[in-house]
Amino acid sequence: MSASGRRRRGALDSGFTMDETVAEYIRRTVLKIPRHEIMEMLTTWDFLSKTQLQTINMHQIKESISQEVVELCEENSASIKQAAILDMIYNHTYRNKKIWTVYRMTKAAGEETDSFNLADFKYNFKRSLRSALKNVTINFREYEDNATWIRIAWGTQYTKPNQYKATYVVYHSQTPYVFISSLRNRIPLLCQALVHASNYHDIHEMELRSRCLDSLKDIVFKRYCQTFQTYHPRPLQERNVAPEKVDPRIIQENKREKERIQSVNQEVFGEGLQPKIEFAQYKLETMFKGEPEMDILTEKEPFRCVVKFSSPHLLEALKSLAPAGMADAPISPLLTCIPQKARNYFKIKERKGILSASCLGP
Amino acid sequence: MRRSGRPSLRRRQDMDTPDSGGKTPLGRKTAETGINFTSSTRFSRGLTFIRGHTLFGQSPTRRIIPQTSLLQENADSQKIAFLLRKQWTLYSVTPMYKFSYDNLKEYSRLLSAFVAAEKQKGLAVEVGNDLGIKVTLSTILGLKGTDQDQVAILVQIASRSQLPFENAEDKVVWSGWFCCISGDDLLESVPEDFTCLSLFLANGAESYTAIVGSWFQKTFDCYFSRLTISPLNLAWMAAMWTGCKVDSHIAATELVFSVPCIPQSLDISYAIHPEDAKALWDTVQKTPGEVTQEEVNLFMDCLYSHFHRHFKIHLSATRLVKVSTSIASAHCDGNIKILHSKHLIGVLMLLTELAISQIQ
Repeated sequence: MSASGRRRRGALDSGFTMDETVAEYIRRTVLKIPRHEIMEMLTTWDFLSKTQLQTINMHQIKESISQEVVELCEENSASIKQAAILDMIYNHTYRNKKIWTVYRMTKAAGEETDSFNLADFKYNFKRSLRSALKNVTINFREYEDNATWIRIAWGTQYTKPNQYKATYVVYHSQTPYVFISSLRNRIPLLCQALVHASNYHDIHEMELRSRCLDSLKDIVFKRYCQTFQTYHPRPLQERNVAPEKVDPRIIQENKREKERIQSVNQEVFGEGLQPKIEFAQYKLETMFKGEPEMDILTEKEPFRCVVKFSSPHLLEALKSLAPAGMADAPISPLLTCIPQKARNYFKIKERKGILSASCLGP
Repeated sequence: MRRSGRPSLRRRQDMDTPDSGGKTPLGRKTAETGINFTSSTRFSRGLTFIRGHTLFGQSPTRRIIPQTSLLQENADSQKIAFLLRKQWTLYSVTPMYKFSYDNLKEYSRLLSAFVAAEKQKGLAVEVGNDLGIKVTLSTILGLKGTDQDQVAILVQIASRSQLPFENAEDKVVWSGWFCCISGDDLLESVPEDFTCLSLFLANGAESYTAIVGSWFQKTFDCYFSRLTISPLNLAWMAAMWTGCKVDSHIAATELVFSVPCIPQSLDISYAIHPEDAKALWDTVQKTPGEVTQEEVNLFMDCLYSHFHRHFKIHLSATRLVKVSTSIASAHCDGNIKILHSKHLIGVLMLLTELAISQIQ
């Protein structure tokens, strides 16, 4: 069935004309999806029927595919709500494209944890946001791991919500943690709504940011384990392998030192796979102190600097430094404490000559 | 241009320049630089170039701090403002044979035609259709270190405005400029017919850079080669530029290191508050007006040791790839951005020295 021969009678019969902005939004969302994923996502979306999906010709350029999808949506009278859900499905699959910031909610002293009711949460959240701002689009979607995804598109008093700059919130109801992405200037509003809806007292931003949402969850839910890997199970690697048939005249220099480095490194980083973060930043305000022979600066002022580490997989990269000879073993606890302290932004001040990381606010 | 009548100059073909780290110079297709200049000449050397302070190919042990020389009286301030705050790719250029400042208009015309022809290769176009591209060569006055330096040349490719009205401006799509600041050592040993403009800086599409470079190479029998900056020279830049006094737009001194030899790539950015960096440098630097290798080493060692104290990582084992300061920023691939006109001459002097050392 060619695209041109497709009936548009359905749309005209019901008297519904799909909003042009909705049509354009759906078209652009489908265009973002890689070709091989389109059918799967549309099926998960569950808005177009199986018969309709079968009519889509997947062997044409994406522009034409998305156009066909829009026409089918027109038949089914799609509204912004359905379009938003498709966007949520896309962003859940490609969640690692965004940078996520972690927030933590706290209860007032003495308050008890109520049992969580999803319907109440949704109702209260919507009510809280809408009371402050009429023009918002709010959508929810639940996933198996107890994660509730919330999509919010923001408008102003006079303008409709901008669907292309939506904020995403991931809330695990059994925990006080919330993961937020793409939030520009609506922080107080959103935080207030979250706290109100989830019956907490307060919320604050943690110094923890990364693209890998799953790794952030691992860090705050303590799902990684420093000494023994308990998740992402892999078969245990043989440690005492049979020695290779090597010429006995070849000796390894520094064999003991190398082994010491390996074992110390394993201790501080743990055996398991490191959570995936891409950067860490340290604001240093400590006194300058070089080697004794370079006692250069006699200033009483701190030597101010900012150090940023970045890597596709930072913790694994840091772990490989000592074995490569570029760092001492054990490497500094400022680096190894990242998963335990659940932060990757630090302010380091001098404390009576002993170096310590003070967990100052941002 | 006949070959027989002129003196011959040979570039040392077999020896890698110490700073190049084994990269092949242009002239052969290199995947790394991405530019394919067709150099039609190899020239033989009958003369030796001798640098004042250094042995062949080695980095100098001391450098004079350039006085913040005000640009000369007749400096072309508008053009010079154009040179600032832009990212330029660096090349070294061997002396050009029979280049004349009187023929700039003629060169503009020839180069325009050449660029148009190269761009049209493979396209079926009407004869006489010039694709609306105009090339201009002009001088930049005021970019001189000493009086012997040759006047700097600016080359610009502009696409003619498609708009109908008269004073519609042409849009500059590519710029390149030649200069030579305090290139005394080279100038002394070069015969008369040669013009020494050893440093070339380009901004814009690489395809244009290749076309312009090919034309100059063919017309003036010179050779362009990408000027990379070694970690050693980047350290010099960090030290010297941190020491410069800056009144406005003060920025942190930032060093970027790339860690080799590990499975995941790792970049470390180490940014120091400008006042603190300058305070450290002022304590290290002893001789007024001069910077020595020992001072640069000490400065860097101090920074490494402060870093090691916190992170237990040996920065000296990593590779310094980029330096940013208030007055300029430089990348090891041979990219530069100059931010202050007051220090323009000083920066260019250092770059000229690197360029000359690469061509010798």
